[in-house]
Amino acid sequence: MLKRERPKERFSYDPRKVLQKLEEFGKEILEELKAGRNPFIDVPTRGLSNVYFDEKDRVIKMGDKTSRRYLFNVAHARKFMQTLLIAAYIKRLVAEGKHASLREAYYANKHTIPGTHENTFEDQSESDPIIEDLERMFGVLREEMHITADRRGYIYGDIVIKDGEDEFNASKLGMGGWAVPGTVEHIEFPEINVDYVLVVETAAMADRLIEEKYPKKEKALIVATQGQASRGVRRLIHRLHYEEGLPIIVFTDGDPYGWYIYSTIKQGSINLAYLSEKLATPEAKFVGMTMDDIKKYGLENVTEKLKGIPPNKKGGPTGDYKRIIEEMNYPWFQNKEWQRQLKLALKWGVRIEQQALANKSLEFVAKKYLPEKIANEELLP
Amino acid sequence: MANSEANKLFKEFKIQSVSEFFRRNAAMLGYTGKVRSFTTIIHEAVTNSLDACEEAGIPPYVRVEIEELGSEHYKIIVEDNGPGIPENYIAHVFGKMLAGTKAHRNIQSRGQQGIGISGAVMFAQITSGKATRVITSTGGDEIIEAWVGIDVEKNEGKIFKKIKHPNPTGWRGTRIEMEVKEVRYIRSKQGPYWYLKLTAIANPHAHIELIEPDGKLIVFPRSSEEIPEPPEEMKPHPKGVMTDDIYRMARRTSRTTVRTFLIGEFSRISDKKVEELVKYIAALRLIKEEEEQRVREQLLKRLAEGEVDKVLASFGKKGKNALKEAEKLMEKPPEKLTWHEAEEIVEAFKYMTFLAPPTHGLRPIGEPNIEKGLSGILKPEFVTAVTRPPKVYRGGIPFQVEVGLAFGGELSSGFDVLRYANRVPLLFDAGSCVITSAARSIDWKRYRVDDLERTPLVLLVNVVSVHVPYTSTGKQSIASEDEIYEEIRLAIMEVARRLAKYLGGKHRKLYQVKRRKIFEKYVPEVSRALSILTGEPEDTIKNLLIKMIEKKFETVEENKAEADGNA
Repeated sequence: MLKRERPKERFSYDPRKVLQKLEEFGKEILEELKAGRNPFIDVPTRGLSNVYFDEKDRVIKMGDKTSRRYLFNVAHARKFMQTLLIAAYIKRLVAEGKHASLREAYYANKHTIPGTHENTFEDQSESDPIIEDLERMFGVLREEMHITADRRGYIYGDIVIKDGEDEFNASKLGMGGWAVPGTVEHIEFPEINVDYVLVVETAAMADRLIEEKYPKKEKALIVATQGQASRGVRRLIHRLHYEEGLPIIVFTDGDPYGWYIYSTIKQGSINLAYLSEKLATPEAKFVGMTMDDIKKYGLENVTEKLKGIPPNKKGGPTGDYKRIIEEMNYPWFQNKEWQRQLKLALKWGVRIEQQALANKSLEFVAKKYLPEKIANEELLP
Repeated sequence: MANSEANKLFKEFKIQSVSEFFRRNAAMLGYTGKVRSFTTIIHEAVTNSLDACEEAGIPPYVRVEIEELGSEHYKIIVEDNGPGIPENYIAHVFGKMLAGTKAHRNIQSRGQQGIGISGAVMFAQITSGKATRVITSTGGDEIIEAWVGIDVEKNEGKIFKKIKHPNPTGWRGTRIEMEVKEVRYIRSKQGPYWYLKLTAIANPHAHIELIEPDGKLIVFPRSSEEIPEPPEEMKPHPKGVMTDDIYRMARRTSRTTVRTFLIGEFSRISDKKVEELVKYIAALRLIKEEEEQRVREQLLKRLAEGEVDKVLASFGKKGKNALKEAEKLMEKPPEKLTWHEAEEIVEAFKYMTFLAPPTHGLRPIGEPNIEKGLSGILKPEFVTAVTRPPKVYRGGIPFQVEVGLAFGGELSSGFDVLRYANRVPLLFDAGSCVITSAARSIDWKRYRVDDLERTPLVLLVNVVSVHVPYTSTGKQSIASEDEIYEEIRLAIMEVARRLAKYLGGKHRKLYQVKRRKIFEKYVPEVSRALSILTGEPEDTIKNLLIKMIEKKFETVEENKAEADGNA
């Protein structure tokens, strides 16, 4: 049976840490200026070229390539100025204990530069990358810098959550559970009465499981990601595993999109490679849906056809087929189990949704499918 | 035909047709079209004035006045401060139809037509029936006022009326007034205004004024005090002469034998060369007698390769005899040289090699003076000029190319090529001129000129030669001789490179200003943000930043100055 393990990390949120980093950053620039040198900042390079899969830690990590940005360089000056503006803004936010969304951060810093027709930021697409740069430079999440991400996803289960001055049990907030906020850094878990976390892709399936009282019976915490897991949810999953020792089991549709959701939770993503150590949970396991489930549970009639052109057809592969082939090449899918599932999907040309299990009966997923698979540890790595 | 009869016929021919000759050869003389005729008259008068001043070492002051008397009816007045014309020469200067000395002289000259101002006098006489009024003084006690025309019967100048005035102020110069019809004054690129403007550019030592028919005074001021040296006569080079030249020169010379005539009147012909010439003539004569075409061609080929001795030897005794015959030719008196013999000499010259012709007689405008001329008249922002070293075309005719370039400033947008031959503006037939094709062949984009048609750019191209190869008798466009084309191109590329460098510097300067602004505009933002981050007062940071920018651009400019200094 799945049981809570020993925690590997500690609650680490400390706003002073961020403030300190920002001040150091400013001081270094000032020192350079005072010494009559052209101040610069080293920003880790973004993009695929600076990303690699760490076999040992089994997460996508950022390489050590950086690009140097000088204040007195025509090509860099504007970005340098923008970086300083956002850094100063974040310092005030954190110091005052306030949070702002990406868009708020954009509007708060946008103004016309005196004596010109130029704005400090013309577009949110200018301010968002600066915030990402700061995350990379300082190795802190933007949530730690009080810039919140879009919220999406909710949890349900018998754990006590401490959110600022509020303390509540996430199984006593009604069927809707507790919506995961954009920032979960400051959240603490004074009491945990579950054995594992079940991450569910669709809200409909999560609701089904809650209605069937699955969390209570199986001592599980349901985390509904509602599609691709938001940064808040991913950070929450990471913290629940590393700080609270909870095993993580992921339950998605049996299609390339669902498997990618799993992959992101487990290994991190290329975009946020620099944050993998804070967001990814490589120990997560996958319960379903798998291609084998179709045979095992007789779901042949409720499969859907894959979209796009198969690789052996003219113009192929496209759509789902292409996606599956890409996933087959991911380093973390280089194992017998996953290669088998992906090959079967290609061979049969089908996908299977979580809710197809309702074909058996509404309770089937909660009473039979999940409990059996988890108990028998029929899980994919 | 008896000789006396021929003389009589010839005389009659002359009497009847001097004016007829003028009409027939109007194109050659430059009197075609109402605008062009006007420009030609101005050209002849102004050229006379400039030449006279230069020969006397006087900085020219030329004033052209045009009065409109009626429809296509004008009075043209040209006055200069030249040396004046001695009384006895007045008729000669203004009436010497076809007796021009320049036409057959091997000298670089402005006058292109050979009949000069007398042509203008003739034109006035034919169109308006009026004589040309000449007022001149050499600076002595009297001023001569004379009415001059052409006596078409005698083909010479005739003074109809002459009045002498006292000259209490010691005035010196010449003023001519002529009435002409069948001409039109237009301020176009082919009219007198443009002609004078271009003349002023190429003659920065001259002060030129124009009063247009509407009374408007236009001044092209002098921008150089340096009076050009008069050109020197250069002996013709054997590669540059034609049968006619030799035949005619032989008749005029005072030398006693063809040998001394060739050595004395041509450049690069020595005693040794005459011996060589004899061999070539002998060989050519023998080759011509050869019946088989194949053998002829082979021998000619060997001759071209310089194997004249071997070719002669191959004919054995015949060769020796031919040599003796040819030798006799050299001892003839030159005036006995026949047309056929002159032809033989020219043909032999073609197979021989000579030193390149001397070029010392060429008189380019010179780089500083082109720059002065362009600056003074066009007031551009940037000006540069290149005078190429003299070169030779057709193997024996020396020439020299110079190019000036003006950019920006008061120039209007668009590319303009000012064409000159021996400093004289060429206003017509631009399309067929080698200057135009050479200028157009340049890839201007390589020289930072992206849109040629919208760039304020003027090129001045002057081709200097004792014998400018015109495409037609109109003498308004230069033929496309490969050597000339290539020289013009090289000169243009040189000035274009300088322009590119200048434009590069200009861009760099603008770029520096722009760069500086980029940094300066962010100073308030950066200092406020840094102040928030560090707690350092905003003003302190602001001063630091401004100091940094100052320093940065100081060093940039120093580096640039150094780089320029090294260049």
